[in-house]
Amino acid sequence: MTARISSKITLWRVIVAIIFVTGLYATYVRFFEGFRASTNLSDQMPWGLWVGLGTLCGIGLSAAGFGISAAVYLLGMKRFRPILRASILIRFLGYCTVMVGYLYEIGLPWRFWHPIVMWNSRSVLFDVCMCIMTYFTVLTFEFAPAVIEKLPWKGFRETILRYHHRILTGVVLAGVLLSSMHQSFLGGLYLIAEGRVHPLWYSPYMHAMFYMSAIPAGLALTVMAVYLSMRSLNVRVDFTILSDCGRIIQLLLIVFVFFRMLDLVANHALHYAFQFTPEAGYFWLEVGLFMVAPILLLSSAKVRDNPDGLYWTCAMVVAGLIVNRLNVSINALQTAMGTHYVPKWTELASSVLVIAAAVMAFRYAVIYLDILPKAKAELPPRDGEQRTRRAGVRANA
Amino acid sequence: MPKQKAMLIDIKRCIGCGSCETACKQLHGFNTELERSLSDTAFTVIESRGDKFVRKVCMHCNDPACASACPVGAIKKTALGPVVYDADKCIGCRYCMLACPYQVPRYQWSKLAPFVKKCDMCSERVKAGNQPACTEACPVQASIFGDRDELIAVAWNRIRTDSSYVPRIYGTTEAGGGSVLFVSDVEFEKLGFKPLPTGNQPVPTLTAAAMGDSPKVVIMGGTILSALYWITQRRREVALAEAEEKVAVNRIKGERS
Repeated sequence: MTARISSKITLWRVIVAIIFVTGLYATYVRFFEGFRASTNLSDQMPWGLWVGLGTLCGIGLSAAGFGISAAVYLLGMKRFRPILRASILIRFLGYCTVMVGYLYEIGLPWRFWHPIVMWNSRSVLFDVCMCIMTYFTVLTFEFAPAVIEKLPWKGFRETILRYHHRILTGVVLAGVLLSSMHQSFLGGLYLIAEGRVHPLWYSPYMHAMFYMSAIPAGLALTVMAVYLSMRSLNVRVDFTILSDCGRIIQLLLIVFVFFRMLDLVANHALHYAFQFTPEAGYFWLEVGLFMVAPILLLSSAKVRDNPDGLYWTCAMVVAGLIVNRLNVSINALQTAMGTHYVPKWTELASSVLVIAAAVMAFRYAVIYLDILPKAKAELPPRDGEQRTRRAGVRANA
Repeated sequence: MPKQKAMLIDIKRCIGCGSCETACKQLHGFNTELERSLSDTAFTVIESRGDKFVRKVCMHCNDPACASACPVGAIKKTALGPVVYDADKCIGCRYCMLACPYQVPRYQWSKLAPFVKKCDMCSERVKAGNQPACTEACPVQASIFGDRDELIAVAWNRIRTDSSYVPRIYGTTEAGGGSVLFVSDVEFEKLGFKPLPTGNQPVPTLTAAAMGDSPKVVIMGGTILSALYWITQRRREVALAEAEEKVAVNRIKGERS
C-alpha cells in the first residue's frame, strides 16, 4: 500500500500540490483580509500583476484560436483542422481564467455583473468587458460540440449538432471580430495614461500593437500545448502542421516587429532605448525574447522541424509576450507614478493557481473528450482489460 | 441651467496653515492629523514647494478622464461643477486611478469592501447653496468659492492689479478646463504642475479616436472575412461541379466506346 502511494508521488504532483495549497491560501487572504494583506498595490500602482499577468497575458495568449478558427472555417484551410479543437479549448480555458481573475482584481467582486446593466460607452474598459462576455458566449458555442457529442442521447445529440453546424460560420465570424476588438482594446486601456506610460511603450497605436503581438504568441501557446499533449497523452498530430505554425509565427512576428519599430521611430521614442535606464533594459529583454531570438531560430528549418527546438522557441515567444505585457502594465508606469512595485507572493500564488487549474482542465479534456486525434485505441478499463486487448489484436489483424 | 460653480486657489495668498485640510477631514469624520499626500482619508493636502504652498485637490475637470474611463459610469460631472462618485455603482476596478492625469483618486486598500475616495467639492453642500468646507475654513481667502465666470474675472483682476502674478489662470483650459482654478506668483511648472499629455484638449480624446475607429474596422473586417468565406465556398463548389462533370464525361465516353 505504501509502495503504491509513494510510487504516485512524482515531482510534478508535488509541484501541483504546492501550487494548490499556496494558491488557495492566497485566495483566502485576498477575499477575507483584503488588498492590503494580499497585494503590494498602492495608489501609485492601482493595477499590478493580476491585471498584467492574469488579464493582459491571459487574453493575449488565448488569441491564437480565432486565427485558426478563421483559417479553417472561413478560409477553408483544412490542414489546420486537427489542432482546431485544441485551440478552441485553449481559448475557452484562457477566458475562464480571465473571468476568475476578474473576481480577484475588482475590489467589490460581488458586483461583477454591474457592467452588464450599467453602461458607459465611452469607457474602453466597458468595451473590453462587453467583448469578453460576448466572446465567451461564442467560445462556449464553438466548444460545445466536444461535450455534446459525448452525451448518451442520440436523437438530442444529432438535432443539436445539426443546428449548431448551420449557424457555426456566422458565429465564428462574429467571434473573429469580437476577438480583434478586445485584443486591441486591452492595449487601448493604456491610451488614456499618456505621459505616465513610458514612451518606449506608449503610442497612439498601442491597441494595434497589442493586437499584432497577441496573434503570434497565442499561436505559439497552441503549438506548445499540442506538443505537450503529444508527448504525455495518447495523442498524435502530424508534426508538419506544427512546423507550419512555426513558419506562420515567424511571419507574424516579422510583421509585428516592422510595425513596432516603425511606431517607435514615428513617436521619436527610439532614443529612449539607448539610455541607461531600467526601462531600456526591460525593452531589450522584450526585443530579444519576443522578436530577435524567435525570428532567427524559426528561420532555420533545423529548429522548425525539430519538436524540441520548435517547442522551446514557442516557449520563448510566449515568455516574450508576458514580458511585453508586464512591461506595459507595470514597468512602463513605475517611474512616472513615482513608485516601485514588486508583487507580493500571494498575488503570484493566486495567479499561478488559476493558470494551473486551467492547465489541468486542458489535460483532462484532452484525455476524456475528442480534442486532438487519438494515437491508438482508447486505454482499456481496468476490469475488461483482457477482453479489449484481444479485440484490439483482432482489429489489427 | 444653473451656473457652473468653481473654486479659486491663490498660491500667493496661501499661508499653508492646513485649515482647509482639517475642515475637510472633520466634515468626513476622519482623523484630523495632517497628511503629506492625498489618501483615502485626505481629499486635499498642502504641499510645500520652496517657500510656496500648493493645495492638491481634485481638479473637477469639465470632461474628466476618470468619468470617461469608468466602465459602469460611477463618476459623473455635474452641471454645478463637482465631479461626483456614485459608490453604489462602483465595482472597484480602479481604472479611474490610472486614467486621472493628476493622479487624484485614492483607494481604500485596507478595507474588505473598498471604495474610491476623492474630493467631491462638497457637492451636497453646493447643491444646497452653501460653499465647500475647505473654502469656508480658509482664514486668508486663499481658496474661495463662487460662480466660475465670476471667479475667472476675479482672478484676472488680481493678475492685472498685481504684477507679481503669473499672467495665467491654471485650470481654465488645461485638459479642457475644470472647476478648480489656480493663480500664482511663481511659474506653475516650478510648483509641480506637470505638463499635461493632451495640452488643452480633454484627456478622453486619447481614447475617443481609437474607439471611434472600431465600428469602421469591424464593418470592414466583417466584409472582408465574409467575402473570403464566399470565395472559399464558391471555389469548393466549382471544384466539386468540375469533378462531377469529369466523371459524367468519362462515363459517356465509356458508354460510347
